[in-house]
Amino acid sequence: MSLLEKLEAAQRSQDVLKALGVNAIGATIDVAGSATEGEIAGNRVVLAGTNNYLGLTFDQACVDAAVDAVRSHGTGTTGSRLANGTYACHAALEDELNAFLGARSSIVFTTGYVANVGTISTLAGPGDVIVLDADSHASIYEGAKLSGAEVYRFRHNDPDDLAKRLRRLGERASRTLVIVEGLYSMLGDVSPLKKICEVKDRYGAYLLLDDAHSFGTMGTNGRGLAEAQGCEDDVDFITGTFSKSLGSVGGYCASRKHDINPLRAQIRAYMFTASSTPSVIASTRAALQLIGQRPELRTRLWQNAKRVHSALSSLGFSLGADASPVIATIMDSPQQAANAWQMLLDAGVYVNLVVPPGAPKNMSILRCSLSAAHTPDQINQIISAYALVADHLMARPKAVAGGSI
Amino acid sequence: MTTYNECVVQIQQMLQSAVAKGEVVGEDVDLIEELGLASLDVMELIEQLEDVFDISFPINELGDVRTISDLARRVQQLTDR
Repeated sequence: MSLLEKLEAAQRSQDVLKALGVNAIGATIDVAGSATEGEIAGNRVVLAGTNNYLGLTFDQACVDAAVDAVRSHGTGTTGSRLANGTYACHAALEDELNAFLGARSSIVFTTGYVANVGTISTLAGPGDVIVLDADSHASIYEGAKLSGAEVYRFRHNDPDDLAKRLRRLGERASRTLVIVEGLYSMLGDVSPLKKICEVKDRYGAYLLLDDAHSFGTMGTNGRGLAEAQGCEDDVDFITGTFSKSLGSVGGYCASRKHDINPLRAQIRAYMFTASSTPSVIASTRAALQLIGQRPELRTRLWQNAKRVHSALSSLGFSLGADASPVIATIMDSPQQAANAWQMLLDAGVYVNLVVPPGAPKNMSILRCSLSAAHTPDQINQIISAYALVADHLMARPKAVAGGSI
Repeated sequence: MTTYNECVVQIQQMLQSAVAKGEVVGEDVDLIEELGLASLDVMELIEQLEDVFDISFPINELGDVRTISDLARRVQQLTDR
């Protein structure tokens, strides 16, 4: 196979998706007029697949902070963190993350993906071992591969299987980095983190938690899954993103237990890529303040999530997990999922279509993510649209959506 | 100690559902190209082998596994550790 024949093969796999009759992958949002409404192919839609959990992308304080920063500090840093790309605002954000998370040290990266790849590939190296949850994000797999460490998977959310793997490693367990996520983004299920911590402590391993989808959404103060399960001091490293609850783009690694500053001069994804623009850092800092100041955002998010979860369950959908800000409906086939996705879009609701090989266990799912900014009317519209799908596409739909419409 | 042949037989038994009754998958049949397994199926097969032999199979080495023979040889080495 020549170099470019691989591109043709890749195109053929995309054509399979096109043959499903929908343009779901990379659907263009022409206008995003608010945190929860946009325009796709000329139609106004409720955005219910954007991970905008706290709805802060259009928050006035965040927008003002970004505008002020771009006027004061320009459009970009034109350099990496280790060269000319660390401004006072980057350092201030790291201090504020430390204060928020109770961390000894934090490092800010340009994206969440880069935070994972950079941190994981540097923390572990040849001779070390990585044991990761099988349903981990691509950035975790990529970082593990790049590290040169020996890599093992353990069964998704299964602390007993993790224990087996660590036992088999013997003394090498002390050179092992265990990696899990908080809230898993495809099915919306949550890691049994406290049990995972107990297991890794029993064998003397280290734990990295990717809290991308639970930062801001879980825990009394929004500090994520470790706060929610009361095990913050047992997690060695936390990575996360600014592109979900914080409504911008960027990533971080933080640690309550260890000084991670020495990594700055070793992580290539930190040293050799441009740093975040000051406007991005400014809106992120403003959003971080709001997470602390406005717990009602989390309350509203969970109310919306529970309402949609309960209604979809009553409609007869097979759901990926208990109620959480991510609600996955598991469909019978890629074609049925594609038809349902188009039907939802036609009814004015945008969600994510995930079909094999993108979904766990070869499932075809519709992935709905809720926001604190969704109004009661928008939640009604989301539920009504799913009711249409249940009526038209599912074999044995239940008639009533739990009285929620 | 587990022998190479025991590993082969175990894998062939696990793959029984992929072929007609009475047929046995040959040691040198390519699991993906010829037998038609998806990469996810191979992962599940390996998970079963890990349980049976109480081993952990490094995912860095998945790319080296094309046939039952490749898999059996590596599983046998891992049981020897």
